[in-house]
Amino acid sequence: MSRRDESNTVTRRDFLRGAAYGTVGLAMGLEGLASAGQGRPFAAEKPLSEVVLVRHEAAVDAGHQVNSVVAAEMLDTAMKTYTGEGDIAKAWQRYFHPQDKVGIKYTRCSWHRIHVNQAVLDAITDRLITIGVARSRVTANDSGLPVKDCTALINVPTVKVHALTGIAVSIKNYINFTGNRSSYHFDGSSKLAETWLLPEVKGKTRLIVVDMLRPYFGPGPQINPLHQWDYKGILVGTDPVAVDTVCLSICQKKRHLFKGEEWLISPPPRSIAAADSVYHLGTSDPTKIKITRLGWEKDLLI
Amino acid sequence: MGLSLLAPHAARADENMLRLPQEVHGWKADGQDKVFTRQTIFDYMDGGGEIYLAYDFQRLRAREYARPGAPRIVAEVYQMASSMDAYGVFTHDTDGQPVSVGQAGLYSAGLLRFWKNRFFVRLQAEDETPEVKTALMALGIQVASGIPQEGRKPSLLAALPPQGLIESSVHYFHTSVSLNIHYFLADSNLLDLNSRTEAVLARYQQGSEKPYLLVVRYLRPGEAEAAFEQFSKVYLRESPAGDAVFGKLEKGQFAGGRWEDRALLLVFEAGSRESAEKLVDLAASQMKGVTP
Repeated sequence: MSRRDESNTVTRRDFLRGAAYGTVGLAMGLEGLASAGQGRPFAAEKPLSEVVLVRHEAAVDAGHQVNSVVAAEMLDTAMKTYTGEGDIAKAWQRYFHPQDKVGIKYTRCSWHRIHVNQAVLDAITDRLITIGVARSRVTANDSGLPVKDCTALINVPTVKVHALTGIAVSIKNYINFTGNRSSYHFDGSSKLAETWLLPEVKGKTRLIVVDMLRPYFGPGPQINPLHQWDYKGILVGTDPVAVDTVCLSICQKKRHLFKGEEWLISPPPRSIAAADSVYHLGTSDPTKIKITRLGWEKDLLI
Repeated sequence: MGLSLLAPHAARADENMLRLPQEVHGWKADGQDKVFTRQTIFDYMDGGGEIYLAYDFQRLRAREYARPGAPRIVAEVYQMASSMDAYGVFTHDTDGQPVSVGQAGLYSAGLLRFWKNRFFVRLQAEDETPEVKTALMALGIQVASGIPQEGRKPSLLAALPPQGLIESSVHYFHTSVSLNIHYFLADSNLLDLNSRTEAVLARYQQGSEKPYLLVVRYLRPGEAEAAFEQFSKVYLRESPAGDAVFGKLEKGQFAGGRWEDRALLLVFEAGSRESAEKLVDLAASQMKGVTP
């Protein structure tokens, strides 16, 4: 029996009143929770973490095809805004140098089909080359990335609500580095952030670029087209916990809208809470995160 | 539920039932079929196989169909150990338009799902077009017709009082993994669910309230009572005086329930204590007519 000591059990009631999983409930918009930090969610005046969200109406057409030119422009806008640089090359030079060996860890789950779009990967690779990183020193992969040989990593996930993890974004994107993926789905996927601290991974992640062009908010495990939507966004940051928290908030609101009533992401993403409080990868407190929103505003959800 | 102990001839018969048509509306089988078992399901869907294993999944056959200039179609036939589990997997995701394929089917934008007897079938196209939809429906009907008999639904469904029942909200399952996907209760296995328990979760429309009813049937005497006591203590933080307990929780909603014999009956998010007790009483009454 998997019964645990009752003092260690987190119940729905604990979660709903904010007594468990840190500030994840706040990010999910649960009513009645006291703010942990100061100020409004995702509008911190003195933020611990910042993310930039760029959306463009023309990024995805009516047939759900991605416009690669628009996607590249969105990435440029996000990078320039995030770094405060007017020149796109200088923006990328903040994080990468020509002598780097860069690994682009993207998400490509063949059976789930919520892939990072090639347009996003191409735009990232092009910008690395623009600043002098040789193409031969750039490797993009989902599984099999030679992470030991990389001096720098770019985490490029998609966004999908996950039946076992709650939500899969940048924290879960490194699960491939473990060689034992399914073992990380137990216990609420609470140990997922360990993957960021593996010796060959730790400290190498310079940038996170989230492909939010077509996120997924359903129960899975496989895709139901009703649960994928054209959000038409690209999100940039360096704090994986903050990045995942923003995506969590957006997906949670989308679920409520879809059902026309409360439809909580379930199980709650314990991996985000643990990444903050146990592994100290970043902050999940919405009041300590600042989002800069640019572009298309319709159905922004955050 | 339990591990399948199929006789060899039965296994061969099932192999035959898993056959898929070579062609439908111009889409032809493309490449070798892939077959996955309980041991290899993660090779097909690492990070998703747990959902099928939470039911008594036995075997998956996957085939791709291609037609020049048209979206590809993937056909997946999941063979479960029982028709009850095929029904259960079907109820994992209930969003879609009901269609008359198999014993029950759902269609949604290029995805057709249905169940019949011990099989749960997913037919998914890369994109939806009118031709794709026609082909998916034709393929589904062909596959369903190749399964000669219907299977029975879980008898536990009869425990659900019909009045106010939201049919599309019904989920049948066994384990806490499934429960927590549909309704997160706790991060531990608070109700001691396992592969041999049966559970059905449903919502009811009661005016503006939509409470959840959870009915669990345990295998052995004593398990329901033990789970009830644990639920009372850890979740409600109440000491039950008898075989029933109800409490007012967050947002002014009520939760609680009772146990009887091998059954545990719980209500969540009821608008009043009275409505919670009434729903549990109705379920208990229905439970008396449920076949073991």
